[in-house]
Amino acid sequence: MRIIGNVLGMVGSRRPSQGLHDLERAGYEYVPLDFRLFCNEQAFAGMKRNRQEALECGIPFLPDHPEQVPEAAKAYLAALGQTGLKMPAALTTSLPRDRSNPELNEILKPIVEEEVRLAARQGCDALVVRPLYAGIPCGEEWERNRAYLLKLASIVREEHSSMQLLLENQSKYIEGHLVRGTLSDPAEVIRWLDALNTEAFALKAPDAASVNPGKKSGGTGFSKDTGAAAGESTGKQEREPFAFCLDVGTANLCGQDVYELCTALGDRIRAVLLRDCNGHSDDALLPFTSIEKHGCQTDWLSVIRGLRTIHFDGDLIMDFHDSLANFPNFLWPQLLKLSKELADYLHWQIHMGDAMRRYRHIVLFGAGNMCRNYMKNYGEEFPPLFTCDNNESRWGEEFCGLTIEPPEKLKSLPEGTAVFICNLYYREIEQQLRGMGIRNPIEYFNDQYLNTFYMDRLKGL
Amino acid sequence: MLETGVQTHNIVMDEDPAAGFRMMKEAGFGCADFSLNMYLKNTDLYRYRLNGFFSQSVEELERFFTPHKEAAAVAGIRIHQMHMPYPNFIPGAPDEINGYLVKEMAPKSMEICRFLGCRYIVVHGLKVRKYYGSEEAEWEATEQFLHTVLPLAKEYGKVICIENIYTNSGGHIIEGPCCDAVKAAERIDRINAQYGAEVLGFCFDTGHANIAGLDLERFVRTLGPRLKVLHIHDNDGRADLHQMPFTFTITRENHPSTDWEGFIRALRSIHFDGVLNFETAPVLNSFPEELRPEALHMIAAIGNYFAKRIAE
Repeated sequence: MRIIGNVLGMVGSRRPSQGLHDLERAGYEYVPLDFRLFCNEQAFAGMKRNRQEALECGIPFLPDHPEQVPEAAKAYLAALGQTGLKMPAALTTSLPRDRSNPELNEILKPIVEEEVRLAARQGCDALVVRPLYAGIPCGEEWERNRAYLLKLASIVREEHSSMQLLLENQSKYIEGHLVRGTLSDPAEVIRWLDALNTEAFALKAPDAASVNPGKKSGGTGFSKDTGAAAGESTGKQEREPFAFCLDVGTANLCGQDVYELCTALGDRIRAVLLRDCNGHSDDALLPFTSIEKHGCQTDWLSVIRGLRTIHFDGDLIMDFHDSLANFPNFLWPQLLKLSKELADYLHWQIHMGDAMRRYRHIVLFGAGNMCRNYMKNYGEEFPPLFTCDNNESRWGEEFCGLTIEPPEKLKSLPEGTAVFICNLYYREIEQQLRGMGIRNPIEYFNDQYLNTFYMDRLKGL
Repeated sequence: MLETGVQTHNIVMDEDPAAGFRMMKEAGFGCADFSLNMYLKNTDLYRYRLNGFFSQSVEELERFFTPHKEAAAVAGIRIHQMHMPYPNFIPGAPDEINGYLVKEMAPKSMEICRFLGCRYIVVHGLKVRKYYGSEEAEWEATEQFLHTVLPLAKEYGKVICIENIYTNSGGHIIEGPCCDAVKAAERIDRINAQYGAEVLGFCFDTGHANIAGLDLERFVRTLGPRLKVLHIHDNDGRADLHQMPFTFTITRENHPSTDWEGFIRALRSIHFDGVLNFETAPVLNSFPEELRPEALHMIAAIGNYFAKRIAE
């Protein structure tokens, strides 16, 4: 899984260097080519004013001059070249949600076409694209998007690129209230992707040998069908031109169960745009930070369950530009580090089972609810040899099919055995075990976001 | 023109049902949505409290509801639909509670439905997704429950209607059972085929849809003829407030933030021929008692407006 850092609100379009270096120092390896840096939604909200402002600042105003997309991105790309960061994915410019004037679609189209061209030339292997929605009546979305999206695919081919176009789920604006919009229904997503891929495949395939390898691509551009890196000639079936990017924030705004979205779409999801919001306002906040008195406003349980169930291994694109905008800029580097740790944490949760897979044997430490939850979710696939507990009165007891042993028994573990701590006092227990001289690997197990739960909690353990 | 209806809660009182049904008629309604759920409240059930109402025999229950039945007939109100008490399963509750809901409450609700001459009864799906892990597993549990009452529906010629409901994450309302119209349609068709009769339909709740971020127009169009009954009410997109349509705006332009135009278009496009039924009991709480008849008139007027627009 590639974790892609957030550049919006962090990296200046004209002086991008500092922001990019901050991202690198925070531990990120990847950043997107986020075209919203050069033409954000606001450009379409007050075009007259923004045109004037662009003129005064001497920067390209892309709604009038879409051909200047490369010029607008020049400083960013140059600065990126001075870092070790890779740029595997891109995101296109989009309209504000509340626009209902269909003419805006016509202004947007040439900008996005230029962005597709530039992203392909830069060697990106995925580009997130929003379908057109301004002023399109219910039921006409497909016919109004089909030709547009196929044209974007043809541009990718003209550029001899294998870049995938990732369609993104949308919300629909009802006078200040956001509800499910185009591509929020998984059945519709599947219909669109199948139809677009069939039609796009019918276009002439590019000469594999001349596929643009890209000068700053992710380098790990993955081909679903061949497992080959982007740009490699395999002579085998090329990957599908269209796939899906799941915007977690949009799903949350529309009250959607992300688990259901994930399991319905499976490996069609190639990227996840990870952002928090309060479910009403279209914000991009750091995960786990949109909290009201009852708790998190995004159902992270459903997000993690869903991505875990489909073994998601695509791009995790962080977007927390509204957090940055409202955080003291002096502390941005620290916020970036926290964001990277959050992304790593989510990666760990999503791939919880991978940790067990690495060892020949497993033993648990802890004989309470977390142990019970381990057994419910992983006991069959990764059966532990036994569990242990500091509570002497429970030694020898059978618990969830495991014998509770004293910690001393951990001193004689066979090679290739890891201890999984099933207790919230992780660090304290790890210290205890290391103090006892145990050298086997120690891992933390966590049951906060497991796939199933018991309806009750054991008490008094 | 479509008929209009309103729920009986806050209007029809056990002490004098005739006054309530008369008030409904005077306001302009021809149909009632009988609020059977008020006889075993969800707030009590979540506290594991059973009030014994459904412990009465069917004969006793019929006797209890005879004045309601007669009063509706005298007032010229047809009891078109009713609401079964909910939830019908409480995760973690003692077995005697959950057993009571399946063995006493549910079948006796069907008996009351038969007695009142009501064609449709609305039920909630089980909310167990968090524990069982998926919507599919949750639906299986709901379907298991439905099979305990569907044979009675077939015998009595009734239609049980599943309703789109919500759940929450940290207080933020998100989709709950029956919020996927495509799946709902497939399940209704499959079960009706299994029973060889129209025993299952859908109750579309506009307020629940609005807070769960559903697109009203798209949802109704997808359901098509499976849509049998309506719970029409409005909210601010955040809480389940059960207010009358056109109440809420968010922007300074003050246009309604619920897509009533889309709702009207969708009902027109599927040739909906049921009752425009309002689940707006809380409106009567928010108005002073002297203004309640006027508030009810207003709701009926909205119903008539909808009916006119749908007929265009």
